[in-house]
Amino acid sequence: MKKISLVLMKSDFKGKVVDVLGGASLNNKLMSMGLYKGKEITKLSHIGLRGPVVIKVGRTILALGHGMASKILVEIE
Amino acid sequence: MIRKIYLIGNPNVGKSVVFSRLTGVQVISSNYPGTTVEISKGYLRLGEERVEVVDLPGTYLLEPSSEAERVAVSLLKEYPKNEMAVINIIDATNLERNLLLTLQLIEEGYTVIVSLNMCDDAGHRGIKIDTIKLEKLIGVPVISTCAVTGLGIKLLISRITEGASVSRNRLTNEDRWKEIGRIVQEVQNLEHRHHTVREILEDASVRPLTGIFMAAGIIYASFKIVRFIGETIISRITDPIFFNLYQPILEKMTLHWQAKGFWFHLFIGDLIDGKIDFKQSLGVLTTAPYIEFGMVLPYIVAFYFILSLLEDIGYLPRLAILLDNILHRLGLHGYAIIPVLLGFGCNVPGILSTRILESRRERFIASTIISIGVPCVPLQAMIFGLLGHFGGFYVGGVYLVLFSLVIILGLILNRMLKGYSPELLLEIPPYRFPPLAMLGQKLYFRIKGFIIEAVPVVIAGVLLINILIYFKLFDFITAIFAPFLNGLFGLPKESVVALVIGFFRKDVAVGMLMPLSLSAKQLFISATLLAISFPCIATFIVLWRELGLKDLIKSTLIMITISIIVGTALNFLILH
Repeated sequence: MKKISLVLMKSDFKGKVVDVLGGASLNNKLMSMGLYKGKEITKLSHIGLRGPVVIKVGRTILALGHGMASKILVEIE
Repeated sequence: MIRKIYLIGNPNVGKSVVFSRLTGVQVISSNYPGTTVEISKGYLRLGEERVEVVDLPGTYLLEPSSEAERVAVSLLKEYPKNEMAVINIIDATNLERNLLLTLQLIEEGYTVIVSLNMCDDAGHRGIKIDTIKLEKLIGVPVISTCAVTGLGIKLLISRITEGASVSRNRLTNEDRWKEIGRIVQEVQNLEHRHHTVREILEDASVRPLTGIFMAAGIIYASFKIVRFIGETIISRITDPIFFNLYQPILEKMTLHWQAKGFWFHLFIGDLIDGKIDFKQSLGVLTTAPYIEFGMVLPYIVAFYFILSLLEDIGYLPRLAILLDNILHRLGLHGYAIIPVLLGFGCNVPGILSTRILESRRERFIASTIISIGVPCVPLQAMIFGLLGHFGGFYVGGVYLVLFSLVIILGLILNRMLKGYSPELLLEIPPYRFPPLAMLGQKLYFRIKGFIIEAVPVVIAGVLLINILIYFKLFDFITAIFAPFLNGLFGLPKESVVALVIGFFRKDVAVGMLMPLSLSAKQLFISATLLAISFPCIATFIVLWRELGLKDLIKSTLIMITISIIVGTALNFLILH
């Protein structure tokens, strides 16, 4: 088991969210969209070097800005 | 007693389509989160009562995070709970995510009726939901609907009165998700399906390499199709009507009018070589209808056809991902592409849709950029019409200047304004293929909107201009501004009137330039100035409403400064 940020994670891999390093408002916002601690996600892609990260959470596809994605830690196998 | 019905739900679940079905009031609906930024109201007959129905912007929770969500939540809280019902619209293809708001609404004590929408799409994707079981588990009526075809809407209406407020313990969001997990487990049955072509395309458009390839192809094709449709309508429909039908009738009717009289001047304008010239006569019955119906309307049809198609399929949020990186440097994020694209049709809906952006700072940058660097269809159509025959070089030049301005201005504003802009956080909708009838309805609605809003202003504008010119009332303004315009921008004194008119409507303003026989360089400069200086009056009012007086003044000062710098620079840099 390894903990890394969404940015460093490779595309097409699955992981489990273990932490969101951000304020309450970011946590709440992500929570309301179904992204919270313990949730399984699949990373779909990463646009460019400092571009957004696209992930799949349940049946939702979410795009997150680079900085936001770097605050989300996932556990991969 | 229900006096009011609110439609609420996550973004992009089809609230506006349900609203149109319930009330018969047509509103714009598209396949991207944040289409609805303004509140629409309509009425529904419930037995003997006429009940008001309100369509709210989408929200994930009752704790708002964008301007549009704030509006939705504050409206909901404004009315007494026991006198209203809430129709919570849920996307059946994404039951889990949608139920969070549903549980919160029930917990807060609202009278909730659930409309499980997009049930046809859920079926295609192999998702089966047991609505009877779901109804038991959450304790409120659940009705399967498919709003685009109207399926289930009658049943939904008949069950509105069954809604009741049920008591449920308040949970934290964590516990809500656990509860939702249990509910979904029980009511939802997933059938395994192989990847369809649609899913492969959905995937390809959010990956860097294939995504950029697709975006380039789609944008190129869109330009080509808009031009093709526009030119075809002009050469096959509007021009024959104007030249072969309307002109002979008009000439016969006015045969006995005195060519120099007041009424002739007003309605027909000047004769060019003894004949009516739709482009140059400048009369209320000649140039005014020709500008709107013969030059602008064909491109309005073409542009909104393509825009509506891309909106409904769900492509635009994918473009937002690809552009996020660039827009971030301008103090915006990828989703700002939606207001910008809408702005290319008309700046008014463009600036209204900046409400999907979270911060004031972003909304200021986006609104200013749109007013300066994004020309609306009427203006673009006229620029093409006017500069086109000097060659693509000049038309392309106007776009190049505008594009550079957007980039430079964005970079500067991002540096100078306090604070920082939030990051992209966007749900990417699946591709959907709405029935053609829906697309046709939306196109019709937009074209009707254009005709109702633009044509009276244009007719009144031309009438007013002709009266002012006839009584030589423009001479005063011309005398003041002419030396300035001539010295800095190299424009003749006749163009003062056109630039002033630009404040009312851009297409008429460009139309005023047509009879002046300006050189290519002068036309290029005046067209560019018309695009970047003051927005038209309608846009100006919306800017005022959305930004407030202080920011409006700031934005206006930026526009004036840029107009002077760019106009002068172009005048001295271009040699001929």
